[in-house]
Amino acid sequence: MAYRQWEIMERAATGPFMEEKEFLNKRITAKMREVIRKYGVKYDPAHPVPADDAMADAVWQAAWEFFRDVGVYNQDTHRIMEFSEEEMREALYCAPSSYTVGVGKDSRVFGHRTVEDPRPPFVIFSPDITYDEADFFQACVAYLKEPLLDAICSPLLEDFQGRAIQSKTPFEIGGSMQHAMHLRSAARLMGVPGVCMIAVGTAETDVAQVAVSQPDWGIRPSDGRLVSSITEMMTNNAMLNKGAHYQMYGSFSGNLTGTIYGAYAGGAEGTAIMQAAYHLMGLLTYGCQFQQNFPFHLKYGSNTGREMLWVVSMYSQAVARNTHLVQDSNGFANAGPGTDMLFYEAAAHAMTSTVSGTNLWETAPARNKHHNHGTPLEARFAAEVGHAVARQGMKREQADEIVNALLAKYEENIADAPIGQTFQELYDVAKAVPKPEYLDLYKKVKEAVNAMGVEFIY
Amino acid sequence: METIDRLKEAMVEGDEAGCAALAAELVAGGADLKAAIAVLATEMEEVGRRFETLDIFLPEVLLAADGMTAVMKVFSPELAKDATVEKKGVVVVGTARGDMHQIGKDLVALFLGIAGFEVVDLGTDVDPLDFIHEAERSNADVIGISSLMTTTMPGATEVLKLLADKGVRDRFKVVVGGAPTSQEWADKIGADGWAEESGGAIDVIKELISGRA
Repeated sequence: MAYRQWEIMERAATGPFMEEKEFLNKRITAKMREVIRKYGVKYDPAHPVPADDAMADAVWQAAWEFFRDVGVYNQDTHRIMEFSEEEMREALYCAPSSYTVGVGKDSRVFGHRTVEDPRPPFVIFSPDITYDEADFFQACVAYLKEPLLDAICSPLLEDFQGRAIQSKTPFEIGGSMQHAMHLRSAARLMGVPGVCMIAVGTAETDVAQVAVSQPDWGIRPSDGRLVSSITEMMTNNAMLNKGAHYQMYGSFSGNLTGTIYGAYAGGAEGTAIMQAAYHLMGLLTYGCQFQQNFPFHLKYGSNTGREMLWVVSMYSQAVARNTHLVQDSNGFANAGPGTDMLFYEAAAHAMTSTVSGTNLWETAPARNKHHNHGTPLEARFAAEVGHAVARQGMKREQADEIVNALLAKYEENIADAPIGQTFQELYDVAKAVPKPEYLDLYKKVKEAVNAMGVEFIY
Repeated sequence: METIDRLKEAMVEGDEAGCAALAAELVAGGADLKAAIAVLATEMEEVGRRFETLDIFLPEVLLAADGMTAVMKVFSPELAKDATVEKKGVVVVGTARGDMHQIGKDLVALFLGIAGFEVVDLGTDVDPLDFIHEAERSNADVIGISSLMTTTMPGATEVLKLLADKGVRDRFKVVVGGAPTSQEWADKIGADGWAEESGGAIDVIKELISGRA
């Protein structure tokens, strides 16, 4: 359902005027300072997975007031889209708590989870990394082979027909269509033709997203799509175009937002509050069915450090306890593939997220900026950790202990994390399977994490 | 406490009214305004250093910047009378065509402004020719282009191509940057400077401008 779509879209043109800098530098920062103080939100570095229901509720209350009083800024019209308390309550009440995504035997239920929920998370596999055009298809195949995959947001393309894909040009449309076609073909060949695709990541613009909405070869209404914010609580007409298109085409729409730790939201407290508030932004501004969260550290571009895991845990618990909305948690690691550090980071992120009441979107390695540096194996490991801790009924207190132990393995190396090796170096590309030595590393780390208290299912 | 010390405190706290009042007090008392600015600039450098290590966060930097702006509003008319005050340089910044990611560019603009440079912020998703038109209009020293996606890096390349095609490549230094970019790519497209993130970009821009003087 798109909540009062056209009445809300109209506000992009009729809302109160404000200069962009005034919105960012004054309205957002002042209100955030106010709600942090009013609700007593406080970061606790000793507990990356806090078992503090009152604090989680305080984060939600702060997020609610913050969103109600700040609204969403449209960069193109320089106007603020504002929402009333009554509208927020109505939209929240009316939002479904789960959706069946994908088609036929490959369909899955993507739903709300509670804190310490014994039901396993819905896992979206995604590297958030660009790959060589020549290996893109096999990279998609490798991901689609993963048994715990519930949905895929596939590798990305950087080139199309040997030419660099440039945003807002025909090459972006061509590359985006190639992305969709390859992914669809790969899914059929791997025996999962109806799998839910959260796509198309190569399509940055609204025009390119519209171009891939085609049920025969491209993106179907049973698939997921993403729309985002420009920077904190800011949209533009292209984003609104995407939001409207997804609703009318019928796809499941996710609000892709990453609050920047250290930037306009401030520290850990503000980052958690802002990220919780984005659930309301997605629901009310774009009519989103789910929220795709990727808060990240300003310096490192990752979310597996101590303060970031606290942020992930806090907003996830806040939303899980106070709403029935569907959310997922996108892991951004510092280290690259082929390193034990990446596996430990993936485990810490997946465990923190799962016990805190969210679903998983795993795993972007090497701060998602190194071409070809992503493989399905680290995502598999994160998914296995998520399933294990849910099935064994792990409580936040135990997760907190284990996450502290995991942090001890890599925390000091975050600033100088190794970028690791490429997909081509770690995988047999023709067969789309990991090479034996890479599997050995995975098994070694799995044993170590098992010894910490994670009861892997197999 | 000396007026300048109280002014430093007011600036860091973002107390704009207090800054204006204390700055006016200095002007009325015939204080050496260039010396006062040097003291405040040192304090702002400390603010920047603490932000670099994330001991403080952007909202605190913005508060201090607001305080500094309030001081400069009072000082500027007086400084304009002083022919010995030198301008530091003009920088045009924006994100490459198609790129909506603005935090890196925002930080570069903010800290260059704090350091006394004149900054023209063209915002996000900037047409390559608009960078050049604005640089010509403002007689800029440097054009800074940020790309956070591989698909928008060609937008930065396009600026350099257009500068060459218009025959004005030598008039401006061009600095490119952003997470997916590299020194190798910057060299390949013929940029004068590169930085992966905002802190590095500010250093590169300052170096290029001082090299031109």
